[in-house]
Amino acid sequence: MEFFVQQLVNGVTLGSVYALIALGYSMVYGILKLLNFAHGEVYMMGAFIGYFVLIGLGGAASPILPVAFVIILMFLAGMLGAGILGIAIERFAYRPLRNAPRIAPLISAIGVSFFLQASALLIFTAQFRTYNTPAMIPFSVGIEVGPLRISLVRILVITSAITLMIALWLLVNRTRLGKAMRATSYDREAAAMMGIDVDRVIVATFFIGSVLAGAAGVMVGLVFGRVFHFMGFIAGLKGFTAAVIGGIGNIPGAMLGGLLIGLAEAFSAAYISSTFQNLIVFGILITVMLVRPSGLLGSPVLKKV
Amino acid sequence: MKKTRWLILLTLVVALAAIASGCGGDDDGEEPAAQDTGATDTGAEAVECSGTVGIMGPFTGDAASIGQEQLNWARFAVDTFNEENGTDFVLEEGDTQLDPAQASTVAPQFVSNSDIFGIVGPAGSQEIEAVGEIFGREGIAFVSPSATATDLTERFDTFFRVVPTDADQGPTDAAYMADELGAQKVLIIDDQTSYSTGLADSTSEALEEAGVTVERESVSQDQTDFSALVSGVANDTDVVFLPWQIAANAQLFGNQMSEQGKDAVIFGSDGLFSPDDFSIAGSYVSSFAPDITGLDDPAVQELATAYEEEFGDFGTFGPPTFAATTVVMDAAYRACQDGEEPSREVVLENVGTTDFPESILGQPIAFDENGDIQDATFFIFQIAEDGSYELVQ
Amino acid sequence: MPRIGTDEWAAQAETRTEHYRGLTAPARRAWDRVTPQARFALFLAVAAAFPFTTDSTFLQRVGVNVLLFALLALGLNIVVGWAGLLDLGYVAFYGFGAYAYAWVSSSQFDLHWPTIATIPTVVVASALLGLLLGLPSWRLVGDYLAITTLFFAQIFVELALNLDRINLPGSDEPLNLTGGPNGIPGVDPMVIFGIELLRVRDYFFLLLVVLAIVVIGLFFLKDSRTGRAWRAVREDPLAAELMTTPVNRMKLLAFAMGAAIAGLTGTIFAAVQVGVFPQNFEVTLLIMIYAALILGGAGSIQGAILGAIVVASVPEILRTPENARFLFYGALIAVLVATVRPWRRLAALAGAAVAFGFAVHEIVALVWPEGVEAETRGEGIGGLLDSWVVLPAVERVLIGNIAFVLLIVAVLSLTQLRRDTRFVLLVPTIYLAAFVWENRLIFQPSVTRQLLFGAILVAMMTTRPHGLLGTPRVENPV
Repeated sequence: MEFFVQQLVNGVTLGSVYALIALGYSMVYGILKLLNFAHGEVYMMGAFIGYFVLIGLGGAASPILPVAFVIILMFLAGMLGAGILGIAIERFAYRPLRNAPRIAPLISAIGVSFFLQASALLIFTAQFRTYNTPAMIPFSVGIEVGPLRISLVRILVITSAITLMIALWLLVNRTRLGKAMRATSYDREAAAMMGIDVDRVIVATFFIGSVLAGAAGVMVGLVFGRVFHFMGFIAGLKGFTAAVIGGIGNIPGAMLGGLLIGLAEAFSAAYISSTFQNLIVFGILITVMLVRPSGLLGSPVLKKV
Repeated sequence: MKKTRWLILLTLVVALAAIASGCGGDDDGEEPAAQDTGATDTGAEAVECSGTVGIMGPFTGDAASIGQEQLNWARFAVDTFNEENGTDFVLEEGDTQLDPAQASTVAPQFVSNSDIFGIVGPAGSQEIEAVGEIFGREGIAFVSPSATATDLTERFDTFFRVVPTDADQGPTDAAYMADELGAQKVLIIDDQTSYSTGLADSTSEALEEAGVTVERESVSQDQTDFSALVSGVANDTDVVFLPWQIAANAQLFGNQMSEQGKDAVIFGSDGLFSPDDFSIAGSYVSSFAPDITGLDDPAVQELATAYEEEFGDFGTFGPPTFAATTVVMDAAYRACQDGEEPSREVVLENVGTTDFPESILGQPIAFDENGDIQDATFFIFQIAEDGSYELVQ
Repeated sequence: MPRIGTDEWAAQAETRTEHYRGLTAPARRAWDRVTPQARFALFLAVAAAFPFTTDSTFLQRVGVNVLLFALLALGLNIVVGWAGLLDLGYVAFYGFGAYAYAWVSSSQFDLHWPTIATIPTVVVASALLGLLLGLPSWRLVGDYLAITTLFFAQIFVELALNLDRINLPGSDEPLNLTGGPNGIPGVDPMVIFGIELLRVRDYFFLLLVVLAIVVIGLFFLKDSRTGRAWRAVREDPLAAELMTTPVNRMKLLAFAMGAAIAGLTGTIFAAVQVGVFPQNFEVTLLIMIYAALILGGAGSIQGAILGAIVVASVPEILRTPENARFLFYGALIAVLVATVRPWRRLAALAGAAVAFGFAVHEIVALVWPEGVEAETRGEGIGGLLDSWVVLPAVERVLIGNIAFVLLIVAVLSLTQLRRDTRFVLLVPTIYLAAFVWENRLIFQPSVTRQLLFGAILVAMMTTRPHGLLGTPRVENPV
């Protein structure tokens, strides 16, 4: 039983990171019907910004500010930096292709992704950077129930992920901007005719999606430690997968998809075999897709004739 | 109107590309001019010697942390050698991203460049498979700083390496685990690379012969999280053997072991010898060299400090690259001293007769008839509480 | 530019009217009159002559890579360009073809089949695999199909990595199917009609013949009953269904045809590389094939070939630092020539940039002598640049990095400014570009290569959204 709960915690930690990345994909897709393949690099940049803020504030072993403060600053800087990067990518790589074939932005996204990866390699070098979180918050600190251990870092990551998701839900469902976003995603032209500044909504969407990716980057740095120029590639694929599995364009779906993948990875590695972990996960996901062809929460594709 | 502009643009780019490829070929004409000035500056004993060393490795892509370290050390080696001997060697890099297909495109590029007299690399064993015949046919010596698959040297005549093979390391590590640590049950986790599986195989074979129970797992190098894998480490496991290349991964694995209260000892292969990145107290790491960070030897210490000032931290992949690059340059330099042109043929011969009584690896470098390093021994370190490495065998 | 959004016929109205203007008009008119057949024949002739113009095995190898990419892009074009199915599992068929060739032509299982028997067998097997993996296309559409096929591609790599220790019941020795991370080295060369293909050049000609056959086949297929049915499926599956097009069968056929071409290419690749390894077939390759197809223009045979030439040769040109430098300055000048009008302005700009450079160089030399003291690169263009660009001898990496970030910001803001302000800012930006190049990028050729390739992809896509040779078409709203 403890073993099961332990895996649940492992899976939820990983899953909430995937979910945050997936949200960015899904929001952008909902509005532009565009797969933002450079999203993983935004996440990578967020993680690097968090790292340099940490180093700037004295490093994990001897921070010059209280730890809680340092972590908040890391999140804020990582999120803001990622958000600005997201806006820039939209402006220069996607806006010129707004009316192009759907597949064209995919290639400019790949170009952006190469460019950002190489820039990170150039500026930050290829070295693995570690946040060295245990020096700041020892992994042994946390809740301990019998043999079950949940470290404080994991609790921090999971709660902040949930907070961000709730904030996003409120933003989308309770604010004017959210309403405009929903309207734009439903029908861009009609929204424009109703006086919604579609360009601004798109920029806002990119900003919010990238902010979430930046937060995910800092979280991964905190809980899994390693930050390097190539980390966005795999994470981007995972986020994309999670977004599609949940029903692309659907915000709760992206959260659910992320959690599903995180849990599937944790349980298959723990219970079956870590060698064939990826195979098992892909097997599960293919089955999900065949049973629910429009994703877990996606609505069936309407055909316009 | 717009179309015309783009046509002009395209023609210009094509024309420039044509000019550029033309100029690329003219290079050998310009080289000697620059070299004259270089040689006259340094004392009377200096022998005029120039040429290019090619280096292949994963300088971008997911293995760039390994490749960039190798590249930086190779640059450092070329600068150091030129300064000491008044030579004028140049380094040319060929990025392979650890993909054999790219390696087999870079190889003919190096072959076509007549300035190149010898090659450092490639990094991975599969890349050696892909380029071995190309270099063999041309008679170019290639010295790898990191490919350890055991049978490579037997199959490729012009292939040398400055690191010992899996067959050397596996049994040493296994014997230490069984005899010194008294391990009854060992879990071996490979990271699904050629280096890792080869080493895991040779270690598990030796462990089983010693009567130790061996369990095998494997995990992708790209994995974000190891906690599920860590949960699966049985409580009666004495040692977890990690034949990995990325020290930061092992650090996370160790942290997650302590997070979940697992007390098995971690034993890392030479790929994890990286005091800056892997510092889980109480763990063991094996290494092909007694001292690459210069703990005792002042000469090595000096090199390490000079490198760190220029390029920053390093792990286990740099010093062997320094050694490999020096081996290739030294072979060419000896040719020059004998009054010969450093041709590929001579360099190949001279690499074979390399005899360094001491090196940055803290031990002599000389090759046996296959091109493997002679008398390879492995050393084992324990990581102390403060994260420093202490030689225990 | 034709507009999108109303109707295909209306959208192409401007393309149909003659609009040859400007200096190059006669040349373009003449080129447009050459039939596609004649163009392809010309391409084949030039390509066939190529290996005789050079002894460099490197250039020949790049030629082989271009042809491999062209074949892969053509196969993908059937599935993505014609049938409109987003198949991200495509690279698995390529890998399957390569591994299948290796299984029957190496010492892995001690099989050494004759090439002439291997190739048809592998092609048929790949096509069957294509049928199987195409099945989800019956139920899934669009991105949902894409992600499912992407799983197949990833599963392929996972299997290749891990199927080296299969414990079969009734056998003590574990079966080594794929060689794991070590792959299958030492694959036999191909023997075709008694000729053993050993040199790179031999494979170049083999690939050229295969390409010719495939292109001729596709040329006739394109407007055949099948080809038109595929396009109908792409444009509107529902309407196609109502018109009695067997939609599901057409989808499977597209998958199978694409897989067959990929499998065929895989066999040749395995022989060229003398081995197969899991790292050969990762998602990055898939991305490059897609880039080739879409850059060239999805749906167009010529486009696929042109895209392959760009995607396979540009990174190789960028490999040598000298070439990359020429390309960099060349592209800089070319972009200025193409965008700055009138010519007077361009001349003023060039003069200003040169003057600005020398001024900055002098000022820095006065104020901070170390700032211009880095070692120089001899005579020629390098020497001339040395007295123009500031080359700091200390903290070069740090200064270079800062300048790099500044350059990106400057270039991005240039596109946002109004004409006159832009002109003023252009001069320092040009200088900054040269500064970054000479101080930072020139020392990191491998990284720069990736950087420039990324930038080229973005620039090409944003200027030609339909691909270099693609035709605009109206898309269904999703």
